[in-house]
Amino acid sequence: MISVAIENSFASWRVAARRLLINRVRPEDIVWTAGDQVSLFESASGEEPDTGFSVPRRFLALAASVACFDDVSKWPLLYRLLFRLKDQNARLLEIESDPDVHHALMMRKAVKRDIHKFHAFVRFRTVEVNGQEIYTAWHEPQHWTVEAATPFFVRRFGAMRFSILTPKGCAHWDLEQLTFSEALTRDHAPPEDPTEDFWLTYYRSIFNPFRLKLRAMKQEMPVRHWQTLPEAVLIRDLIRDSQNWEPDANARGSKRQNTKG
Amino acid sequence: MELRRKLEILADAAKYDASCASSGSHRKRSEGGVGNTEGMGICHSYTPDGRCISLLKLLLTNVCILDCAYCINRRSSSVQRARFKPDEVVRLTMSFYKRNYIEGLFLSSGIIQNADYTMEQLILVAKRLREEEQFGGYIHLKAVPGASAELLREAGKYADRLSANIEMPVQKDLDSLAPEKTIAEVEQAMTDVKFGIDDAKDRSKKDAASPAFARAGQSTQLVVGASESTDTVILTKAEELYKKYSLRRVYYSAFSPADETDKKLQDRKAPLLREHRLYQADWLVRNYGFRANELTDGLKGGDLDLEKDPKLAWALRHRELFPVDVNRASKSLLLRIPGIGTNNVERILKIRRVHRITMADLERLRIVMPRAKWFVTAADRNPGALNVDSLRLDAWTRPKIVQPSLFELTTGQI
Repeated sequence: MISVAIENSFASWRVAARRLLINRVRPEDIVWTAGDQVSLFESASGEEPDTGFSVPRRFLALAASVACFDDVSKWPLLYRLLFRLKDQNARLLEIESDPDVHHALMMRKAVKRDIHKFHAFVRFRTVEVNGQEIYTAWHEPQHWTVEAATPFFVRRFGAMRFSILTPKGCAHWDLEQLTFSEALTRDHAPPEDPTEDFWLTYYRSIFNPFRLKLRAMKQEMPVRHWQTLPEAVLIRDLIRDSQNWEPDANARGSKRQNTKG
Repeated sequence: MELRRKLEILADAAKYDASCASSGSHRKRSEGGVGNTEGMGICHSYTPDGRCISLLKLLLTNVCILDCAYCINRRSSSVQRARFKPDEVVRLTMSFYKRNYIEGLFLSSGIIQNADYTMEQLILVAKRLREEEQFGGYIHLKAVPGASAELLREAGKYADRLSANIEMPVQKDLDSLAPEKTIAEVEQAMTDVKFGIDDAKDRSKKDAASPAFARAGQSTQLVVGASESTDTVILTKAEELYKKYSLRRVYYSAFSPADETDKKLQDRKAPLLREHRLYQADWLVRNYGFRANELTDGLKGGDLDLEKDPKLAWALRHRELFPVDVNRASKSLLLRIPGIGTNNVERILKIRRVHRITMADLERLRIVMPRAKWFVTAADRNPGALNVDSLRLDAWTRPKIVQPSLFELTTGQI
């Protein structure tokens, strides 16, 4: 058994995995732990030795996504895939129904969804700092997606200064550079923005009370995000006022048809 | 009238248009401007009706000179009326967009004065957004039937999507419910828009810098259940529209009478499930290689079966084609297996080049086994397939009725 300490980053795992592969360490012989990286196998010259194996680009792209997943089981899984690619089948990734491949794809899917929801659910509030307007948001991603998700906001809002604060790290755009900083706690969330009053008015008015599909709503807008979405405070009242309301609809989602008569 | 009150009235009036798509358009943010589109639409919020909020969906005004019985804004209705100034819509759009509430604007309107004047007012808003605010987000404008070809050409310069709503599948329905409207006029608008799109595509082949035109294409909407027309009539018309005008989408909106609804339609309503079955059938026609008449031939009363999805219903009528061997069947046949969607068909084709697919593989791909297992064979034993000719299969495959969301409807696999 060999114990390998890595930081929670793809770069850190990659360095370790490379060394392990060169030394032909089998996946089942490794215990992955969190911590500062220690060099396992000093290379005498200080240069990266050749692994004698070129890793498929597809694997690297998959691994970079999986590395954002919020569970440490991702590290042994990625190494197992890498080892099997080299040792068993270079085309392993094409077998999407293979249990390891499937597991990694499920992790990637969750990460991609988290990035998509990041783009959807960030709500900027204008905050004035030293006479400058900064669009500031508090968001709570499920996975380690701050660095992967925030370049989107630069492409879209590059002419606005913004900060996105999260419990998994923060991102800041000063019109020139996107920088990242340490995680913050929820009490750093910016105060309400007057525009939210109009947004809530819109949300209330565009809702169609003749249709009620709570299950569908919760599936796409998971309850865990509600506390960072200003409009979510309206949901309870909208459901109650809806003419389709029935007590058990809350729990299971309405299975009834449109019954407005 | 206070702006917030106008927003209340004119968002409420706009919610009967089901479309909220913001996909299919690519535009980089202009230097110093705000907003872009990256092809994939984003749903920024969901309301308890299960619908997504992607766009700020508004009517410029709910004043209307027409009197369509199925429409809450018809001139004889007693709803409160309001009208935005163009600048008010521009301001709302920009302040919502900059806070990341929306992908852009979907602007429609009641008909004021005449079709051309109404279209001009819609264009004015879009033009200000693009030229004065350098807005790079998504804009969907209503193409007002009867508006001149020149105005529709101008609208297409600013809009990502244009839509002229056909509302009813046949003229007979319009004659009884919306006598001032004609199918021909709506299809003329579609023709003009299609010409603009095709023309812009031709030009861009010669000159990459030539201006784009409605790059996310055009769509339309049909109201379901207000008229007598059956699903067969509706799907036949939808298929014709897809072919003739290269529409991206046909939306189906289940009619539900509200307090202001015309008295003669008070008892008319379409179950949401009927709307759902139409979306499923539509999806099969667009993505699975079905022809509309394959799904509608032999339907009792001309309507789709509410109890099972149209693909399963079709398979049960064509059992002679099943079970299908997932390791050997052609792509077009794989697409016809109930419970297997387009993505999984692609996966199966990829996997079987290097590996013989087993039933366990299918389970892991999250194929809907309660439906699929009767219709497939794989590398190992599948007892389900022995029952494909059983008379009881109809009952065994009957799913519990659960309403899906519009998101599932627009993106989901069947």
